[in-house]
Amino acid sequence: MAETAPQGETAADPRFRFLSSIVGRPVRGSDGARLGTLTDLVVATGEQYPPVESLVLTGRGGRRQYQWSSVERFGDRGLTLKAGAVASTPPEQPLADRIPLVEEILDKQIVDVHDAKLVRVNDLHFLELKGQLRVAHVDVGLRGLIRRMGWEPFVDRTLRLVRPGAPYLKADHLVSWKLVQPLDQSAGKVRLEVAQRLLATLHPADLAEIMEDLGRDQRTVLLGRLDVETAAEALEEASSELAAQLLEEVPPEKAADILEEMAPDEAADVLSDLPGDTRDEVLAAMERPEAREVEALLAYPQDTAGGLMTPDRIQLAPERTVADAIGELRRRDEELPLVYEIFVADAGGRLLGICTLRDLVLHEPATRLGAIMREAPATLGVHDRLREVAAAAAKYNLVSVPVIDEAGVLQGMVTVDDILGEVLDGR
Amino acid sequence: MAAEAAVAQRRVPFNRRIMLFLAVLGPGLITASVDNDAGGITTYSVAGATWGYDLLWTLIPITVALIVVQEMSARMGVITGKGLSDLIRENFGVRVTFWMSIALIVANLGNVVAEFAGVAASLQIFGVPVWLSVPAAAVAVWLLVLKGTYRSVEKFFLVASVFYVAYPVTLFFAKPDWGEIGTALVVPHLHSDGAYVAMLIGMVGTTIAPWMQFYLQAAVVEKGIKPEQYGMSRLDVIAGCVVTDVVAFAIVVACAATLHVAGVRVETAGQAAMALEPLAGRHASWLFAFGLFNASFFAAAILPLSTAYFVCEAFGWESGVDRKYGEARQFYWLYTSILVIGAAVVLWPRLPLVPIMLVSQVLNGMLLPFVLVFMLLLINKEKLMGQWRNGRWFNGVAWITTAVMIMLTVYLVAIGVRDLLA
Repeated sequence: MAETAPQGETAADPRFRFLSSIVGRPVRGSDGARLGTLTDLVVATGEQYPPVESLVLTGRGGRRQYQWSSVERFGDRGLTLKAGAVASTPPEQPLADRIPLVEEILDKQIVDVHDAKLVRVNDLHFLELKGQLRVAHVDVGLRGLIRRMGWEPFVDRTLRLVRPGAPYLKADHLVSWKLVQPLDQSAGKVRLEVAQRLLATLHPADLAEIMEDLGRDQRTVLLGRLDVETAAEALEEASSELAAQLLEEVPPEKAADILEEMAPDEAADVLSDLPGDTRDEVLAAMERPEAREVEALLAYPQDTAGGLMTPDRIQLAPERTVADAIGELRRRDEELPLVYEIFVADAGGRLLGICTLRDLVLHEPATRLGAIMREAPATLGVHDRLREVAAAAAKYNLVSVPVIDEAGVLQGMVTVDDILGEVLDGR
Repeated sequence: MAAEAAVAQRRVPFNRRIMLFLAVLGPGLITASVDNDAGGITTYSVAGATWGYDLLWTLIPITVALIVVQEMSARMGVITGKGLSDLIRENFGVRVTFWMSIALIVANLGNVVAEFAGVAASLQIFGVPVWLSVPAAAVAVWLLVLKGTYRSVEKFFLVASVFYVAYPVTLFFAKPDWGEIGTALVVPHLHSDGAYVAMLIGMVGTTIAPWMQFYLQAAVVEKGIKPEQYGMSRLDVIAGCVVTDVVAFAIVVACAATLHVAGVRVETAGQAAMALEPLAGRHASWLFAFGLFNASFFAAAILPLSTAYFVCEAFGWESGVDRKYGEARQFYWLYTSILVIGAAVVLWPRLPLVPIMLVSQVLNGMLLPFVLVFMLLLINKEKLMGQWRNGRWFNGVAWITTAVMIMLTVYLVAIGVRDLLA
């Protein structure tokens, strides 16, 4: 039972401590009188490994807060405060950029940005250095659970006897604090820079999965932390019901910004899941061209070619050359979905034929598209059902199937990823 | 609202609109249906056969208590967007959560055993031997849940809950005396007999079970119901509670009008189904057995799955049937073990089923007070519920309900322990 003095005695520095070995211990005044039990530690979040700034104790007089600098010494048997330590009343709501660890982090779900998944915090791991406690890791492993149950010594001793090589004995499942995103609402004011930046680097599909697993308020908080582009990518991967739920929680302007960034067919799916008045509001807030595109798609039921298609495509006149087509591909790479076929159409928009990427690669740059195009092996009408859409893509091995109206004018294309998604959903 | 409906009508095909409608009506109705599981049907059958209409009056206060408790579960789910085990972990810490999870696993394991016993008993009436029906049902449940998608499983559950209509239809064959029933519903018939009191408590205990609060809250969260839609959700809960007790009523009356009048005593729902044949005809017996099978199978599908969810949620382990085995090991192990152990216990030759049921009942009874008190503490937390906390009047009703439930279950646990030791 080592007691370390914050100032002076540095023999045991630096050492690690767990939150569970500090909280719940008695706090004494300089005269040795018991003031209460330690119930929380508050950190300031400015730094990568933030120091504990103050402590909260619960005694006969309710909750009181002391600055960490007024701690005389602390150890496994509890804390002793310096003479003249001044108590204050802890605020009802945590201040901005302050996190009470027990209240906001312990036992809560957080995003582990490194492994791209949701985890529950079993314990917190501090580095004790020169009397300061800094949060180093969160413990999300089994060992942390067992420590909280108070069984760590017993389980360790038994395991060492039975199976000394057990991975459990060595493997603490710790996640670095800088890779952690707390999701509680009040912690929403907090900015954890590194984790925030890393969030945007997660694969959109992982982000979507994390959102599916979160509670409603937390997913709204998470969405709020993402920039518009990342949010749009994540929502494209999420189910349209979930995306609609999320967009209802944010102001219409922000929802509109996110929808503009999304592929029009995905945006239309999400909009059709929004309640009518919210949908109108969001559509009104969207930029005109994007809104018009999406509105056109909204006119078709979700499980028809019209509902599945995206209007984004490469469409060129037959007089244009291979070089033009490749230039177009390069220029619009950002906004286009999966591209394999490009479409050749006359001035009235009627579909004449298609060229594949392979055709473009194999022919001289100056070749006219009209000379190398072939007839589209299959076309779809806007009202064709999902079955027929899937059958056409499968039969002719198409990556994208053109959709035309009654007059033969090209309206858009259905890409195979959207077909797969829809077919899997309806299984 | 009207504009919204008009848009929905234009855009959504008819069959999907029906599904959307059911989606709002889902959680309360499904929870309520599973509530009348094998254990419930057994209790109601025995109550009707033994005491005739004398216990009917309890159904109205039971419905009120059920609504009070379930409404709080649904409200917490809607407002916090989190499951009950999630909230308990976040607010009461690891130790409480651990012991609660253990109790929940063991109590639900007992319930699963009861469900498979129900499957065995009901299919025996149709001539299917136990060694075939129980493993087949276990495999069917396992495949249904692990190989189906969430949507297909939910559709299956919704369809299954429709089959509870089998019981009200059985009433038609039983030809009860409606005048007498009307009186019995509102006028309490009290007996000082210990067996009567035990039966009464058994009815309360089987109707308000701990796992239901977890399940309902989780289902509401899963649906993503928002505070604005809470009014709808509350209706769903109330409708579900009423349906539960209408089914319970039908079972009690069907058994009272036939078995009790003829002086036949039964100990299980399977016996009740068999005894109905000479009294109310083969069709009544078949309907009764079919209802029992449906209820048992339905609950056997939901209980292991939901138990695995709650435990994994509380400990932060990944869960869900859409995860791969490698990602959600604890979840798959828990789910499969509960299912396999539940089915194996029923198949074990000469295993004393009655004491096992008693243990399960005692554990459920011991868990319930804790769950109810946690719920009341949570729902009154300003930080969680804000303006949606219990009002003063409702809080009074809720605490009184909880206190009565606790007294009754303490008594139930006491007699359960006494019977186990005897």
